[in-house]
Amino acid sequence: MQTRVKAFNPQIFLEFLCYSAFAGLMLYLISSGKYLSYVTPRMEPYLYFTAIIMGIWALAVLGRMFRPQHKVRSMHCFVLVIPILLFLLPHGPLSTSDFSDNFIGGNTFANRREQNSNDLSLEDRSPTDTTNLYTQTNVPELPGLDTVNKKITVSNDDFGKWLSEIHMNMEKYEGYTIIMTGFVLKNSEVLEEDEFILAHLIMSCCVADLAPAGLLCKHDDVSDLKNDTWITVEGTFFIGQYEYDGKNYDDPQINVTNITPAEAVEGYVYLY
Amino acid sequence: MSIPVYVVTGFLDSGKTTFLNILLNRRDWKDIRILIIQFETGEEVFQSQNGNCHKISFPKKVLEQQPKQIISQINGYLQSHEEELDEIWIEWNGVVPFSELQSMFLDPSLRFLCKIQKTVHIADAANIENLLGRTGGALLEQIANSDFVVLRNVSVAVTYKRIRRLLNGINPGVDIYDIKEYDDLYKQLFRKKENPVNFFFAALVFIVAIHIMVKPILEIFQIPVNTIINVFLGIILQAIPFLLIGVLLSSAIQVFVPQSVIERRFPKSIGIGMLVAILAGFCLPVCDCASIPVFRSLVKKGIPLPVAITFMTASPVINPVVILSTYYAFSGDLNIVIGRVALGIIASFIIGFVFAIRPPKGHVLSGGGLDRLMCSCGCYEDIESITTFKGKVRLFIRHSQAEFFNVGKYLVIGSFVASVFQIFGTGLFTTAQSGAGLALSIIIMMVMSFVLSLCSSSDAIVARSFSMQFPMGAIMGFLVFGPMMDIKNVMMLSSGFSKRFIGKLLYTMFIVCFAVVFILYGLGVM
Repeated sequence: MQTRVKAFNPQIFLEFLCYSAFAGLMLYLISSGKYLSYVTPRMEPYLYFTAIIMGIWALAVLGRMFRPQHKVRSMHCFVLVIPILLFLLPHGPLSTSDFSDNFIGGNTFANRREQNSNDLSLEDRSPTDTTNLYTQTNVPELPGLDTVNKKITVSNDDFGKWLSEIHMNMEKYEGYTIIMTGFVLKNSEVLEEDEFILAHLIMSCCVADLAPAGLLCKHDDVSDLKNDTWITVEGTFFIGQYEYDGKNYDDPQINVTNITPAEAVEGYVYLY
Repeated sequence: MSIPVYVVTGFLDSGKTTFLNILLNRRDWKDIRILIIQFETGEEVFQSQNGNCHKISFPKKVLEQQPKQIISQINGYLQSHEEELDEIWIEWNGVVPFSELQSMFLDPSLRFLCKIQKTVHIADAANIENLLGRTGGALLEQIANSDFVVLRNVSVAVTYKRIRRLLNGINPGVDIYDIKEYDDLYKQLFRKKENPVNFFFAALVFIVAIHIMVKPILEIFQIPVNTIINVFLGIILQAIPFLLIGVLLSSAIQVFVPQSVIERRFPKSIGIGMLVAILAGFCLPVCDCASIPVFRSLVKKGIPLPVAITFMTASPVINPVVILSTYYAFSGDLNIVIGRVALGIIASFIIGFVFAIRPPKGHVLSGGGLDRLMCSCGCYEDIESITTFKGKVRLFIRHSQAEFFNVGKYLVIGSFVASVFQIFGTGLFTTAQSGAGLALSIIIMMVMSFVLSLCSSSDAIVARSFSMQFPMGAIMGFLVFGPMMDIKNVMMLSSGFSKRFIGKLLYTMFIVCFAVVFILYGLGVM
């Protein structure tokens, strides 16, 4: 056998670039926290895994960089290039206004038109999911709880936790004063005249399943509240009812006493 | 100015010399001065009729033992005749890898004198399929490195189609000509090859330009491009880690598990095999992105098809991650969790049995019968012949990379289609639902799960969000069918399987899932 001749192999070079760029992109998304706009925090280890594999692959092809090859291909690299480009090219995260009826999250809304338009509200979906989660993870004392004054101040970071905690232990918090921030969700066909939902966008797996979830609020004057505006609500917590599948369920709701405008909150609430 | 080199490859008796005789003796070429280097002497002899060709021959023995001598001889000839040559044509030996020729011409003493431009592979349609199965790596490697394939003795269109598919499996996108189409070939032969690297960067710039130009225009028409991009990236970011797990696992099976172990150890009976498949499906915490590459490698390794199908359909429905996410999504409703797992197992058993009773005709793998012998990664070393651990690891990495790109391109396309559908499609389904009976609702939800292409570990939450307007049976259809098959899975399957098989698989899965769900829910069993 003759000795191997060396010649630059452009295909391997391109592959090397793609692997390195993708590994770098993963690390960047993790370190900047930007991956949270697309997937939930529990994907983090998987993204590290991806970065490591891509790194190993990049190192592995180095040895073949000068192995000649007659037929050079490049198009396959676009499997990695397209996601890299789309991640890097400017695009905004989804905001509350993206949830019109034709979006999957908006659908949970559209459904209800066919239903009995009782206060069967969409927020009963996700929070009940979380209840079970948090019974297991068992959060002993959530921040913002003031048992002496019977008052709960919900910070935006704890929105998801409080939502599930309230659903789980409704009786415990009945009559409490609650202060929380969210965006307004009104749907005249589903909600009564004096109702709106104080919601955040909740992600259970990736942006594809992003949907609004929150607590139903009752207030005398809802007319000047606009959809998608962020507000801070102060009110009294009580147990209302909603009907699902012919049965009535208890539903935590807020009797609003005071509404103040609030800064829009970036990011999403994650289920687990 | 380096002299262009054209190479003709092909197995013994494939007709290389005949091809050269016709091509180089064309009247309009009589002024082109050609050097012919033959590395093989077959029955037919090259004869120059116009006196413009000079011929050198090297027997195979010299090629194997003294390649240096060949190089210096060619070098000597070129040095003395440099000004008198327009082209070099090479008739390469049919059983020696093309890379050896390439190494010779990249030798420092030849590299600047001449350069390989195009390679033409000549194949005899009558025996090429047969040969590929028996002759090891050299022939495959020659085909994979060719720019054109010229087919001889193509008698029926069916054969042509089959061989075409075979060749495309080895060398995707290669130009294939019938030997009678000489004129087309000439035109292509001397057309300048676009440099793939330049092409790559041009395409890169093109994508960016499209993104910048088209996005605002689409937004004027109220098309939520931003949302589509977000959803697309979400699905990709979610799927790529699992795809990686899948290709690593499947490559590990390909490289590290010897065929003999599977043949000896794997249960002979299909029934027991299916049980093992379901157990394995339970143990592998992978979603559907990962189960498809594994499925392919199982089929390649010779696991009975019904068993492999049972594994592929069961594992994304019944694995622990999916069970857990279903449990959470439906607020710990065990009926639904158990229902999903049970229906998943029943359905995958039945699908497996359907394929056991009525095995698909023809080849299942798109590479035809050969797919088992070669791998798609362009490494033509026989897997079984590499014995050192280091060599196997290297092969494992190459193999998984090749498979990643191979399946990944379908994942990208599939995710994109799914994200567009997510934005526009769901409204249609919910509208169709109003006033529908159970059967129709199940079908609507199954079609929706197919179109949405959600990862099986996340679809439970989405299913839950539809639970208000769809009956439980329909939700179950979504939960059972969705993980087994969706747009992105069909795309990924088409990287390795024949269209006919995918069609049959899809059709069987749909019918079986529908029947199972409809019978159990329609009759009130569950």
